[in-house]
Amino acid sequence: MRRNQGCNPLEHEMARRRFLTSTVAGAAGIGLVDTHAQADQLKHQQKRILQVFLQGGVSQLESWDPKPGTVHGGPFQAIPTSVPGIHISELLPNIAQRMHLLSIVRSINIKINDHEQGRQFMEKGRRVGQFPYVGAVASKYLATPNSNLPGYVHVSSRGLSDVAGGAAFLGAKHGQLKLEGIKPPGNLSAPAGIDAVADASRDKLRLQFNQRFADRRSKAMTEAYDASYDQAAGLMERRAMFEGTASKKDLERYGTHDFGRYCLLARTLLENGAACVKVTHHGYDSHAENFNFHLEQLGEFDRPFCMLLDDLETRGMLESTLVVIYSEFGRTPKVNVRYGRDHWGTAWSIALGGCGIQPGAVIGSTNETGTEVADREVDASHLFHTYLQAVGLDSTAEHDLPGRSIPIGDPATESIQELLV
Amino acid sequence: MLISLTMIACSAASSVADTPLHKWVDMAVGMGSVGFENVAADDAGDAAFARRLYLDLTGMIPSAEQARRFLADRSTDKRARLIDQLLTSPQYARRMQYEFDTMLMERRPDKHIKSDEWRNYLRQSFAQNKPWDQLVSEMLTADGTDEKTRPAARFLLDREMKTDTMTRDLGRIFLGRDLQCAQCHDHPNIEGYLQRHYHGLAAFLNRSYLFTDPKSKQTSIGEKAEGAVKFTSVFTSESDETAPRLLDLPPIEDPPAAEEPYTVKPDKKVRSVPVYSRRLQLAAAMTDPANVAFRRNIANRLWALMMGRGIVEPLDMWHAENPPLRPALLDLLADTLADHDYDIRYLLRELALTKTYQQSSQYNGDAEDSDAAHFAVSMLKPLSPEQLAWSMMQATSLTETTLKDLKAKHLAAGTEDAEKQIDDPLWQEETLHNALKAHVDTFAGLFGVVGIQTSRFDASADQALFVRNGAALQSWIASGSGQLTSRLNMLQPPDLIDEFYFSVFSRPPAIGEIHFVTQFLEQQPDDRESAIRKLVWAALSSAEFRFNH
Amino acid sequence: MNADIADKNTIDRNLLDVTQSHQVAEFKHEIALTTLRVDPTDRFVAAGAEDPDVQLWELASSERRTLKGHKSWVRSIDFSADGNRMFTACWGGIVNVWDTSQSEPKPLRTIHAHKGAARFVRVSPDGQQLATCGNDLRVKVWNIGDGKIVHEFSGHERHVYGVSFHPDGTHLVSQDLMGGINVWDLQSGKHKQSIDGSVMTGYDKKFAADMGGSRDLQFKADGSQWASAGITKVTNSFAGVQDPIVVLFDWTTGKEIKQIKSDDNNVKGIAWGVRFHPDNFVITAVADRSGKGELWFYRPEEEKAFHTMKLPSAARGLDLLSDNLRVAVAHADGHARIYRMTAKRPADTTTPAKAAPETAK
Repeated sequence: MRRNQGCNPLEHEMARRRFLTSTVAGAAGIGLVDTHAQADQLKHQQKRILQVFLQGGVSQLESWDPKPGTVHGGPFQAIPTSVPGIHISELLPNIAQRMHLLSIVRSINIKINDHEQGRQFMEKGRRVGQFPYVGAVASKYLATPNSNLPGYVHVSSRGLSDVAGGAAFLGAKHGQLKLEGIKPPGNLSAPAGIDAVADASRDKLRLQFNQRFADRRSKAMTEAYDASYDQAAGLMERRAMFEGTASKKDLERYGTHDFGRYCLLARTLLENGAACVKVTHHGYDSHAENFNFHLEQLGEFDRPFCMLLDDLETRGMLESTLVVIYSEFGRTPKVNVRYGRDHWGTAWSIALGGCGIQPGAVIGSTNETGTEVADREVDASHLFHTYLQAVGLDSTAEHDLPGRSIPIGDPATESIQELLV
Repeated sequence: MLISLTMIACSAASSVADTPLHKWVDMAVGMGSVGFENVAADDAGDAAFARRLYLDLTGMIPSAEQARRFLADRSTDKRARLIDQLLTSPQYARRMQYEFDTMLMERRPDKHIKSDEWRNYLRQSFAQNKPWDQLVSEMLTADGTDEKTRPAARFLLDREMKTDTMTRDLGRIFLGRDLQCAQCHDHPNIEGYLQRHYHGLAAFLNRSYLFTDPKSKQTSIGEKAEGAVKFTSVFTSESDETAPRLLDLPPIEDPPAAEEPYTVKPDKKVRSVPVYSRRLQLAAAMTDPANVAFRRNIANRLWALMMGRGIVEPLDMWHAENPPLRPALLDLLADTLADHDYDIRYLLRELALTKTYQQSSQYNGDAEDSDAAHFAVSMLKPLSPEQLAWSMMQATSLTETTLKDLKAKHLAAGTEDAEKQIDDPLWQEETLHNALKAHVDTFAGLFGVVGIQTSRFDASADQALFVRNGAALQSWIASGSGQLTSRLNMLQPPDLIDEFYFSVFSRPPAIGEIHFVTQFLEQQPDDRESAIRKLVWAALSSAEFRFNH
Repeated sequence: MNADIADKNTIDRNLLDVTQSHQVAEFKHEIALTTLRVDPTDRFVAAGAEDPDVQLWELASSERRTLKGHKSWVRSIDFSADGNRMFTACWGGIVNVWDTSQSEPKPLRTIHAHKGAARFVRVSPDGQQLATCGNDLRVKVWNIGDGKIVHEFSGHERHVYGVSFHPDGTHLVSQDLMGGINVWDLQSGKHKQSIDGSVMTGYDKKFAADMGGSRDLQFKADGSQWASAGITKVTNSFAGVQDPIVVLFDWTTGKEIKQIKSDDNNVKGIAWGVRFHPDNFVITAVADRSGKGELWFYRPEEEKAFHTMKLPSAARGLDLLSDNLRVAVAHADGHARIYRMTAKRPADTTTPAKAAPETAK
């Protein structure tokens, strides 16, 4: 962004929205939409992202890039999938049946073997510096203006420190609302002694004060402040959403364990207009007992994830939802003395599908023993471009920030074109 | 207009003595010119001025009593006197401590230096009005080995001595330039942010490292005698090498290599100390008058602190295509500050005395939003988390009741000089701060941003939920003894309404407001106390309270 | 006779001196071993590794045969009483039957025993049947003669790690990931008893995953007790920080008798092997997370080990030879090593792949 002396920042803000796709620009006109059908159509036009983060670093050899029978292959077999020619680990039998909905990138080299740095790179598409996470970018540019849900919601059983909720300079509004499992966010219930009527009357009073204050004053900040109360009210109204509206049938399909419930909550959040929902499944940092732990963890992951994928598909949301299964890195081909695999950013995989992604593709490859990328090497910055372009954002444009010149994706790299529809 | 401003700036430099800075500032902003006056806002009025000044200089709104006393004062120099009074209060040092801690450390968690010690160091520095160049020199020179100066080392030590982090933050915080994108290549979009700028700064620090004493486990800064900074553009693959240098100033070449380059040789167990330290050149180079960016940066930041927006905005994005809105004004401030030995209190005083500062935040006539950017209307300044916490506690009288309890306790403890102590403003400030600190931390955690600070306002749902439903605010609004709600409950309109407005908004109610509040209370005759609680909550969560206006 | 239930009378007590245990032979494979078994006639040492092959060494000559037939790592091995038949179970769920007399053995029979890994295989005392268990949560009994299933027991809710026949052949004991133990009656074909072995599992809160299970399961020759090797006290199991443990259970009551744990608490890892020695002590083989190993020698009535032997590499399998003077250990460095629990003799040698001739039988 090049700002000239004396220019009007508001004009800039408007002008800068040009990089958004027509879909999003259309959503900005929500105020004009009044029929139910149109609103429904708009809902389907909204694009969104589902991230499933396998925290700790899932082993590519036990998931997307199996090498059975090779020196580092481990004890598990590869199984055929619904896409002829693509084999994945036997630990993902349900995903194997749905491979035609997903694609695999097998040639990631981020040159990082540190959890925090790897996670930051995978989220921000930048190796260093304070840049917003994918989810915060989605919240800023994909969220419908009338959504009362925070744009970026993270469901996780324990905290990882995400500075400013991953929003960086995009601001707290786009930082992740971190949910501890399916527990509702804090302060969601009105205080004792204040029933709905009392709450409404005090809130009306607040707005009356604000109305008086707004007289001949700048609106930009006060409106943002008001909006946060609307969002808060929206969350309070949807309290039930967090309290598990899952039906018995849902629970049978997804399972009653934590991750199954997180996936159900993710479905609800996505249906309610969240621009990015991140679900973290912990426990892949298997420096010891890699094989038993991957049996446990992927065994827990495979089915509920597939139920969610099925539901997105049958509800017609998959074509507008980018689904990404990722980690901060992969795991060493070499098995250590504890039957563990260690950190490995050199040659590993992720899977993705849905909105804007060519289904059933395999991008790149590793060598026969999995120790190096053999073909089509990419890193997290390429993935970052790819995610955003998949949901219709021009990742080579600059952020919508007055006075700052910040390219959305790393200008030194680009998206994986052949993966995009 | 540009030409005339430049002339003003030139003449300012030559005839400083007679005309005080604040008058020059108003002229530089445009006061007096027809175009400016057409859109300029009115004076803010005494009540709005006092609230604004208390927030800016002491970090919290005035108590109802302080607000009333200021309004009742009929003397013509009362604004100047209030400025001087607040600038020398213990609360001023605390406010600056918060502000500069946030600016310098950007709400990082503690790593090697306890933040309490660091904050205390900052507060003491502002209490004694330490010049900015001296403060910065101390921060960039301390190596953490001397207990006395150790807190000052937090700026570097708590950045883990990571060259990239330190380099970027030196550029952003002390030079007003975010050179990050110039790390790997000349900035793709900003002409003038060059790779050598970044690496010239890095060269001061890349030989320094975090040393942990194997016995005491204490960390400090060690330095090697060798290590060059080379860089290659990822775009053009051109390579270069640089000695330490500040932006476009000449590089500082190393002296001829000594036969023995070390005072203490590198070893795992000891902190190595070179004969010639590149790092120790940094403080002098940074504060050298030739380094214009240093004084412009702090002048711009102090301006933003008072006016709500930098003359260069964002504060760390000064470059050819994002120049100062009023270049002459910024130079005037920067040069005068340097001439006054970087006396921060002096500059803040002069800024507070300007008409620009004392303008209303309400537009006049058909002025537009954008005029705020030209300093024709006072901007709304979102309260910092600390200002918000303290102001809510002040409005609900928690500060007053807590201090009363603390005084009584102190007297009861029977310490020598207790009677004298409890009237000492410094004792009061420190005691009250310690008692209520936990609340402030809660607000900082929820409303604060870890990482790069911006002047942008941001509000999130969890903040609003905290204000709506959180236990802290509910308990402050509850009618405990001496607290606002119970005080109001004993009054009747219009006294009740007057007390309410002075307590929360630091001003008397307008006629229309008396009607509107009376009406509200009359609509809820059955449970007056709960009606008052609603009233207090609505006011505390209102925009008028959330912003310094 | 099976080494497990060796006759006490065969020990030469004049020679036995555990405190002077030392290495007497070494058999080298290129890849980390996963398990090991010595045949009851002391002719063979067989080992699985982190590859699909089975390594079969002649103890006397060190001659090695590499047996191909599995597609995955071999987790468990057992022999017929005469040593002529070998049974191997792999992570692919396959159990293979081999003729050890062939020069290049091929599987005589391949049993698709389990969906998912087959974690343990044991021959019945009468030599007619095999017991297996695995990741399909099942415990199964097979007729060796025709490879047909005899019993299929379900009841475990998590992966079943270990199974063993009671020496009288009437019952099976099996243990799963959560430490849960089931006793199965082979005559009625029914579940007989559930026993709490939950000390042998742990939930790693940080990683939200369970770790545990029996890594070795062995009855005392007289059938009065069984021992299970594994882990307890999970601290950070993803980095291998938990305590190795062996728990002894009483057959009659099903109650836990004793827990064998590290004396100095310095060892963190997994106990991969346990054997009852007829001289009334228990040998435990441990893999420390550092990659080193230990052998612990405990008398059940004593609190502390009467001897601990440091091993150069983590132990992943243990067996006792029928002379009751030697143990064989599978190591993570790819070696199977034989340690003799006696004072050194001049003839002893530790040169690689050269077994010392044994005369003490």
